[in-house]
Amino acid sequence: MTALPTKRTRPTKTNGSRELAAALFILTGPAIAQDLLPKAAPEAEPIVLQNATIHTVSDGIVLGGTLWFHDGRIGGVLAKGETPSLPENTNPKVIDLQGAHVYPGFVSAHTTLGLQEIGMVRQSVDVNEIGEFTPEVLASVAVNPDSTAIPVARSNGILAAGVFPSGGAIAGRASVIQLDGWTNADMAVLADAGPVVAWPARSFGSRPRRPSSTDRSRQSPDERTREGREAIARAFREARAWLDARTADPSTPIDIRHRALVPAVRGEAPVFVRANELEQIESAVLWATAASLRPVIVGGRDAIAAADLLREHKVPVILDGVHDLPRREDSPYDARFTLPARLAAAGLDFCIATGDGYSNDRNLPYHVATAIAHGLDRNRAVAAITLHAATILGVGNRLGSLAKGKDATLFVCNGDPFELDTRTTHAFIRGRQVDLRNKQTELAEKYRKRYRDLGGK
Amino acid sequence: MRTRAVTFFVCLALAASPSAQGEPHNGPRPIAPTWFALTGATVVPSPGERQENTTIVIKDGAITALGGAAPAGATRVDCSGLMIYPGLIDPFVTVDSPAIEPDRSDAHWSPMIQPQRQTLAGAGIPESDRKALRELGFAAAAAVPAGGIVAGTATVVLLDEPATTERPRVIREHAGLVARLARNRNGYPNSEQGAIALLRQTLFDGAWYERCLETIRRNPALANSAPPVSAALAAMARHHELPLLFETRNELQALRAARIAKEHERTAVLIGSGMEFRRLAAIAATGCSLILPLEFPEAPDLDSAAATAGVSLRQLQSWEQAPTNSARLLKAGVEFAWTTARLEKRSAFRSRMRDAIRCGVDEKTALAALTTIPARLLDVDGQLGTIAVGKLANLTVVAGELFDPKAEIRAVWVHGKKHDVDPATDAHLDGEWRLTTWPGSADSEVPVLAIDGKRAKFAIGEDKVAAAVGGRDRQSIALRVMDAFGKGSGVTWLRGHRRGDELAGTGTKADGSSFRFRGERAPASSDGDENDQPPAADAFEPPALTALPTPLGGYGTATMPEPESFAIVGATLWPSDGRGVIVNGGIIVSAGKITYAGPAADMPALPENTRKIDGQGKHVTPGLIDCHSHTGIQGGINESGQAVTAEARIQDVINPDDVNWYRQLAGGVTAANQLHGSANAIGGQSSTVKLRFGCAHPDDMRFEGAPAGIKWALGENPRRANGSRVQTRYPSTRMGVEALIRDRLVAAEAYRKEHAGYEALAPRDRARTLPPRRDLELEAVGEIIAGQRRIHCHSYRQDEIFMLCGIAAEYGFKIGTFQHVLEGYKVADAIKEHAIGASSFSDWWAYKFEVFDAIPDNGAIMHELGVSVSFNSDSNEHARRLNTEAGKAVKYGGVAPAEALCFVTKNPAVQLGIFDRTGSLSSGKDADVAMWSANPLSYMARCEATWVDGRPLFSLDRDAELRAGIANERSRLIQKAAAASKGRRPDKAGDKESRFARLRDAYWAAEYLDDAYCCRTHTLQGGR
Repeated sequence: MTALPTKRTRPTKTNGSRELAAALFILTGPAIAQDLLPKAAPEAEPIVLQNATIHTVSDGIVLGGTLWFHDGRIGGVLAKGETPSLPENTNPKVIDLQGAHVYPGFVSAHTTLGLQEIGMVRQSVDVNEIGEFTPEVLASVAVNPDSTAIPVARSNGILAAGVFPSGGAIAGRASVIQLDGWTNADMAVLADAGPVVAWPARSFGSRPRRPSSTDRSRQSPDERTREGREAIARAFREARAWLDARTADPSTPIDIRHRALVPAVRGEAPVFVRANELEQIESAVLWATAASLRPVIVGGRDAIAAADLLREHKVPVILDGVHDLPRREDSPYDARFTLPARLAAAGLDFCIATGDGYSNDRNLPYHVATAIAHGLDRNRAVAAITLHAATILGVGNRLGSLAKGKDATLFVCNGDPFELDTRTTHAFIRGRQVDLRNKQTELAEKYRKRYRDLGGK
Repeated sequence: MRTRAVTFFVCLALAASPSAQGEPHNGPRPIAPTWFALTGATVVPSPGERQENTTIVIKDGAITALGGAAPAGATRVDCSGLMIYPGLIDPFVTVDSPAIEPDRSDAHWSPMIQPQRQTLAGAGIPESDRKALRELGFAAAAAVPAGGIVAGTATVVLLDEPATTERPRVIREHAGLVARLARNRNGYPNSEQGAIALLRQTLFDGAWYERCLETIRRNPALANSAPPVSAALAAMARHHELPLLFETRNELQALRAARIAKEHERTAVLIGSGMEFRRLAAIAATGCSLILPLEFPEAPDLDSAAATAGVSLRQLQSWEQAPTNSARLLKAGVEFAWTTARLEKRSAFRSRMRDAIRCGVDEKTALAALTTIPARLLDVDGQLGTIAVGKLANLTVVAGELFDPKAEIRAVWVHGKKHDVDPATDAHLDGEWRLTTWPGSADSEVPVLAIDGKRAKFAIGEDKVAAAVGGRDRQSIALRVMDAFGKGSGVTWLRGHRRGDELAGTGTKADGSSFRFRGERAPASSDGDENDQPPAADAFEPPALTALPTPLGGYGTATMPEPESFAIVGATLWPSDGRGVIVNGGIIVSAGKITYAGPAADMPALPENTRKIDGQGKHVTPGLIDCHSHTGIQGGINESGQAVTAEARIQDVINPDDVNWYRQLAGGVTAANQLHGSANAIGGQSSTVKLRFGCAHPDDMRFEGAPAGIKWALGENPRRANGSRVQTRYPSTRMGVEALIRDRLVAAEAYRKEHAGYEALAPRDRARTLPPRRDLELEAVGEIIAGQRRIHCHSYRQDEIFMLCGIAAEYGFKIGTFQHVLEGYKVADAIKEHAIGASSFSDWWAYKFEVFDAIPDNGAIMHELGVSVSFNSDSNEHARRLNTEAGKAVKYGGVAPAEALCFVTKNPAVQLGIFDRTGSLSSGKDADVAMWSANPLSYMARCEATWVDGRPLFSLDRDAELRAGIANERSRLIQKAAAASKGRRPDKAGDKESRFARLRDAYWAAEYLDDAYCCRTHTLQGGR
C-alpha cells in the first residue's frame, strides 16, 4: 500500500483547456500547433483521479469516486471513501477532480479520420482504392498520426475511432484506432476490424434519376443491383473456398484478397455492410446471415423498419449521424432526431456515428445530445458513443467503459459533455495524458496575440 | 391596328386566288368546286349558341351564309344528323424551325435569343401532325418554334392538306413572341434566374435599339454612332406590340413569366404546365390568359412499399387534382384555351377534355377554349373561331356532341375544303361480331369474327379458323378464311361493311357461289385483353373542388394562419437588444407586432382576446435569422455561365413550396438571406425573405423594405479551382478575381456617369443624343458603388478579404458582409472597418484547401474585436439548428450566452439591414418569435413554437395535427391511385429505366431534376 501522493491540480469550473494547459503538470514546450508537438509521454507512475463523478457506462455512475490507472490500464473504479490498492513502490500522481466528470473516451465509430486531411485536395485523401473489390487494403496502414484533424477531434473527448475506407463494393478493411501515438502501429487498437461492404441499393420511387452519363452499361438499375450483390456474395464464397483449399493444401497459392476476408469468413470479424434503404438492409442481412457472416449495418437510416429482422439475427447498427434531414418530403421534420430513441425502443443494438466525414468528428457528442432531446435515454445515449460503439467495432474488451482491466482511455470534463458550455479538461489515452490543444487553438492564440500586440485587448 | 390590316390583306389574297402562289401545274389546271351548301346539320356557330337543321353556305373558302336555303349551284353536302362546330384551333403546336446560324454577323451573341427566326422555314407542321390534329377536329393551329429563350414568333396556319402545288396557308405570320425560361446547358444562362435576366435584358435591348434607330432617323448625323446592326434586336423592336406567348414548366414559372411581362408592359399569354391549380389565387391575380395542356400525370408508382414510400403527398395530390386544373381556373375567373401540346398521346386529347369537363368546366367554356379564345389570343378572331358570314370556312363536323369522346369526328373543313377524317383503323369496326345469319349454322353455333386493327380471328364454336385480312378501311374489311364450313370446305372470302352496330357482309366460296351474312356486336367479353386499354373511362371520378392547401403537400394549409394576439408569461427572455437574459419575463404580441417584452413583473395588463401562454420553464428568443441560405431557390442556385452575373436575381426564382422552409420554422428560423452561389466573382443579387410558409405568392416571402444585396465570391470557387475539368473561364487566380472585380467597378462607374449625363440633358438635347443602353449587370454593380446594394462576399483567406476591404475603401462603399470568412480572425480589424459584419460557420473546416486554417474561435475573435458576427447555415440541415451553432460561440472563445445568441438574431438582422423590423424582442418590432423548451444555446432545447409576423406558423401541437393529416390523406390517395392504376403495367422493355424516357415520368422528373441539378452543381463547385 502506497501513501496517497501530494501533487494535486485543481481544475476549476471556468477553466478552458487553454488556461488549463499552463496549469497542468505535464505540459511543456512552446505554444505551437499540436501536430508539431510531441505525442503523449509514457507514464511510469499510476495516476489517480480522485473525487470524481465516474460514468462507468458498464456499471452506473459513481459519485465522488476514485479511478486509477497504471501501465495504460484501469486499475480500479472505487466508490467514495474506498482506497485504491496501488502497486507497490509507485509514486502515484493524484488529481483531485472536485466532482468533475470522467467518461470513457468517445468513439467515433464510422469516420475517415487520419485517412484524409483536406476533402477537396485529392493528394491528401487516402480513402478510396482503385477497383470494386479491394478487401486487401487496410485503413490503419494509411492513418496519418500527424493529421491535424486528430487533435481537433480529441479536444472534445473523441479518443478512438473506427476508420473506414470507402469506394467500390468491398472497399477494404476498417481499423479501430486510438487518437494518440507516434506511429500508426501505436495507434491501432484493432488493425483489422472487418471488411467494409457497400451493399447495392435498388432504385425505387417515382423520382426517376437520369441514368448517369458516365454509366455506359446497358443494364437496367435492377440488373446492376442484382449483379452487384451477386458479385459481393461470390467474393465471400470464393474466399471461403480458398480458405478450405488452403487449409487442406498449404501449397494453394495465396490470393491476398481472399486472405483479407478470412477473419470475416471464419466469423472472427464482422462484415460492415453499408446500407440505408429498407430493402437494402433486409437483403443485406438475409445475405450475410445465410453466408454465415456477422453483419453490422452501417448507415441504417431505415433500420427502424427492419427492426424485427435485425433483432432476430442480432445485427447491430452504426447509425450515420443524427443531424440529418428527413429522407422524404412528408417525413416529420425531426424524423432523424428521434430515430435513435425509436431504435432504442425497438430494442436494437446500435451506436451513433457522425456520418459527417472526419473534420467534424468533434461534434459526435452533439449528435447524441440531439437524440437525447428527442427522447433517447441518457445512459443509452452515452453508451451509443462509448461501449456500444466499441463493442460493435470489436474492441469492447478494451474501450468504451470504465472498468478494471480496460484501457485507460478516458477524459475529464467540467460538466455534461452534451452541453456546449462544458470543457474537456483532461484526456488520457491508454494511460497517457494527451495535449488538448490543437492547430486551431494555437491559431486562435496566435491571432489573439496579434490583436493584443496591436494594443487592443 | 397595323398588324390586323396586314392579316386582312393576306386573307383577301387567299380568298381571291387560293392557288395563285403555287407552282404552275403540269397540264390543265384542276378546278375543284369551291361552292358548297352544308345542309341539315345542327350548327353551333359559337360557344353557347345552337341552330337546328341549318344550312351553311361556303364559297371560295369563306362562309357566305348561315341559315336559309341552299343556293342553286352550290354543291349540296347532306349533313343531317351531324353537328357542325367552328373549326377548332390549337394555339400551341411546337415545330422545328431552323436555328439562326450563330456566326451570322447580325445574330444575337446568345444562341438563346432568336426572335428573328422564321417559324415556317423548316417543315412547319408536318402533314402527319396536321392529320392527327384534324382527326381531333382542329382546323387551324399556331406553329411555335421549339427551343430558346426568345424563340421566334408563333405563326397561325391552317391545317389543310395542301395539294402538291400549294403551300400551307398562313393566317397570321406573327401572332405572338414565343418566350421560355430555358437554360443553356453549354453556357449562359444555365439557371432559371440567368434565363430571366437574359430575357429582361433582351426586352430592354429591343426597346433601346428601337429608340436608337428612331433617334438616328431624326438626326442622321448620329448614324456613325449607331449600335451595330442586330437582326435579333430589330426583330424585338418590330414585334414590340405582340403578346408574349410564354411557355412555362410549372406554376411558379408562370408567375415569373407574368411578372416579366408586366415589367415590360407586354401582354402575356401563359402556356401552362397544367399545375396552375397549385397556386390558383396567384395565377388568377396575374390577369393573364392561359393556354392549357391537358396532360395529366400518371398515377405514381405504388407497386412496392419502397416505391410508395418515395411518393410524396404532394405528388399524390397533384395526380388527383390535375384534371381539375381547368375547372378551378374557370372558377377563379381565368380565361383559358386548350392545347394538345405536351400530351404523350395526342389521341388522348378528347378523353382528357371530357375529364376536365367532368371536373366542372361547362361545355360552352370548353368550346370557347377551342375556338373563340385561342382565336382572340392569337388575334385571328376576325377570321377564325366562330361560324359567321365572312369568316373562313373552318368547320368541324361531328357525328354527335363534340365533347363526347365516342362521337366521331366525320370531317374537318379547312378554308372551304373538306377533309374527311379517315383513320387508318377505326376502333369501332374493331371488336367481336356474331355472324347471326351464317349459312347453315345453328343459332348456338354462329361464327364469331373478331377484328383487331389489321388482324382478324374467325371461330365457330371451339374451332378457330385461320383468317387473313385482305384489306380494311374505316368501315369495311375483306378477309380470307379457311374451312369456314367445316374441315375440307376450303377457302372462303368475306367482305363486311359496318353500318352502325351492324355488320352487313357477303361471302364468296371457293366454288364461286356467294352468300350473304349479317353480324351484330358480341357482348363485350370479360376476359378481353385489357392490357392495352387505359383504365376504363368511367372509372374516373372527378374530385370535388374543395380548397387545396398552399403549398400543396403535407405541410400546407388552406388558409395561412392569421396573426394572433398572445402573451407568454414567466418565460426566460433572450431579447438580443443589449438587455442580456431576462429571467421570468413576459412578451405580448398583438396585430403582428411585439407590444411588450420585458420582466413579467412590469408587464401591462393583457389586451382582450389575448391568448396567454404559460412560459414557466420556457425560453423565448427572437426568430432566428439565417444570413446564408440556399433554401427555396428554383432552377439553379448559381448562374455560372459567366464570371459576372450581377444581373441575375434570386428574388425572381423564390420557391415558397420548399418543405425546408417548414423544417426551418421548426428550428425557430423566421428570416433568411437567400444567396446566389459562389461560382462567380460577381454573382447574382440576393433575396432577403421571411419564412412565410403558406403565403399565396412567392413575392409574399420577400422581406419588404430590406436593403438590396448581391453575392460576390473570392478564392477557389470563382477560380473554379476544385472542378475536375480544365477551366478556360477567366479568372483562374486570386489575382484575376481582383482584376475582374476592378474591371467591372470601372465599367459600372462609367455606366453611372453615362446615364446620369443623359438624364441631365435638357429634353431638346436628349432628342439629339443616342440613349445609353440599360445594362442590368452594370446597373447592379453601380448600385454597390452608390451604397444602395450590399455585397455579401463569399471569402475564406485573409489576403482576399483584405483585398476587398481595400477596394471598398477605394470606392468608398461599405461591404455588407463577408460570408464564411473563415480566416476573418486574421484580419478582424480590417473587416470591422470596411464591412457591416462577418457571417461565418461555427466550426466547419478542412473541406477544401482554403479553409485549412479555419478555427471555431473565428466568430469569437472577430466579436472580441467589435465586428458584428453572425453564424449561418449554408445548408438546409444546419439551418434547423442555428441556435446551437450560436452556442458554439460560447464553447469556442467563451462569448457570453446572450451575446452568442445575437449571432443568429440581432447580428444577421443588422447585416441584412432589417434590424429595425426584426432580430430582437423589442416593443414595436415584428412579432418574429421562437419559443424553446430549454436554454436555446443547448442541444437539449427543442423549438416548441415559431411565429412570423405574429402568425403561428409552427408549433408542436400544429405539427402533430399536420402529421395526422398527412397520414390520413396519404392513405386515402394511395388507395385511390392504386385502384386507378390497377397495377402499373410492366414496361414493354421489362425495365424501369425505359420509363425515364417517357414523357409522363419526365413530367415528374422535371419537378425534381432542377433540385438535383443545382445541388450537384453547387457541390461540384465547392458548395461552401
